[in-house]
Parts: sequence; structure tokens; C-alpha cells
Amino acid sequence: MPDLSPLCALGAFDSRSERFGALRLTEVPDLGLVSIALRKGAEAPAPFGLALPGPGAWAEGATASALWTGPGQWLLELPGQGAADVVGLVAPEAPGCSLTEQTDGWACIEITSTAGAAPLEALRERLVNLAPGTLAPGHGTRTILHHMSVLVIRRAPDRLAVLGMRSAADSLWHALSETAARLETQE
Amino acid sequence: MLIPHPLLGLRDAQEFTYLGDASLMSPPPSDDPEALERHVHLRDNPAGLLRELWFHEQGDRSWLVVTRDTRTHEILGAELATDIRREGAR
Repeated sequence: MPDLSPLCALGAFDSRSERFGALRLTEVPDLGLVSIALRKGAEAPAPFGLALPGPGAWAEGATASALWTGPGQWLLELPGQGAADVVGLVAPEAPGCSLTEQTDGWACIEITSTAGAAPLEALRERLVNLAPGTLAPGHGTRTILHHMSVLVIRRAPDRLAVLGMRSAADSLWHALSETAARLETQE
Repeated sequence: MLIPHPLLGLRDAQEFTYLGDASLMSPPPSDDPEALERHVHLRDNPAGLLRELWFHEQGDRSWLVVTRDTRTHEILGAELATDIRREGAR
């Protein structure tokens, strides 16, 4: 009987997690993702009671969180819904919008800090060319990291999430872990 | 070089791809083949202010009209191309 158990983006049955000094990198395997796009002239919906954020911002709700990805476009995150029919879940909450399932198109790596914001700021300075305010808590954006297109979300002062192409998950992990390891040796 | 994105603030030019003269946004009437030929193939090459189209490919995927001084690379402003199109201006 072949083994049909799903693999995580980094190729193992269990998600990877590694600590580098004050920083811990964790692969998140069960994040449901849907992109929401407004039709021309349509009003923004409020899926699961969440007010969709403006340019450069990220908003967290009880069921879902949303990142502004472009004019009239958001990426909705549904934690723990990685195996669900996410478009089916969101469709009644966003009538008239164009919904596209994005789960498993992305690999999500959460970075947490046990020493406050400073180690995350150091990581930001080394990895992306963004002004400090662009990644203040509650903000997020799409940018380039090591020539890869990524979404970076600052969920809290001590929490940062990086979403990259799932097919390049290993390269993304390499870029993040190498930088985190160098920061650790510099401490 | 930093591009002052109207929605997202200063962003690295690396995130953008460049198209060229913003007059590409307003093609001439299609019943004039010579004007169309000039529109597609001929460009001015001014030493000075130029309005040009930049695409925020590694960002929010919006088209910007950036005013740049080609002598100094000083950027004097950037607007969303969709806003300009909506206002009907060239």
C-alpha cells in the first residue's frame, strides 16, 4: 500500500522548527490561504467580521487575518484550515468577490523572538530593503528576498511571518536560517 | 534608486520593471497607420523631465507614472496610472 500521507513544504511529514539564539523559525503547514479581489466598483466585504486593511497593512481577526496585496486585493489567512475547502468557507463571507485558493501555493515560515523586536529588526535590515515603518507591527507587504517574491507580515513586535513560493521553500528556509545563524554568532 | 509609491511610500527600484514613456498610455486613433507606427516605434529621448511608466512587479502590481529628470535621476513624483486614466487626462 503506497504511503499517501501529505508532506510539509520542506519535504518532511512534520513541520521543521529550529532555534537560532533569540530567534525561532517554524514552518507552518496548516495555513489556509485565499485571495480576495474586488470586481470593478464593488464595495469591500467584511469576511468573518474582519475589516479589510488598507495599503501596507495587515489585520487580524478571530477566524481569519487579511493582508493588503494590491488595490482592491487581499490575501486572507485561515489558520488551521490548510486541508479545508477554503474558497467554500470564504465564499458566503465575500459575496460578489473573485476568490482564488492559494493554500499550498505558499510556504509559511513564522519567526518568533524571545528578546523583543531587536532581533527581528536586525533580520529585516539584512534581508529586505524596506523602510522600518513598512514592517511595523500590524503591517505587511510583498517584496523581494534573495531574488524571491515573498510576503512579509509583522504580526506582533516579536513575531514575523514570511510567505514564499512553496516550490522554493528550501531556498527560503536557507536564506532565513543562514541569516539568523549569523546574527546568533554575532551576539 | 527609490520610487515614491503613492500608496506604499519609498520602495526600492529593484521591485519595479520599467516600460518607458508614459505617452504609451494614450494610443492615437487606429485609423491613422502612420501615427500608430510613430506611437509604437518612435520615442523622444529628452535630457530633462520625462514621464515614464514603472510597474511594481514585486509589490502591489500597480502601474505608476513616474516623473524623472533623466540628467540627474531625480524623481519629482509618482502617481498611480489608474488614477490618471480615471481622470481621463494624458
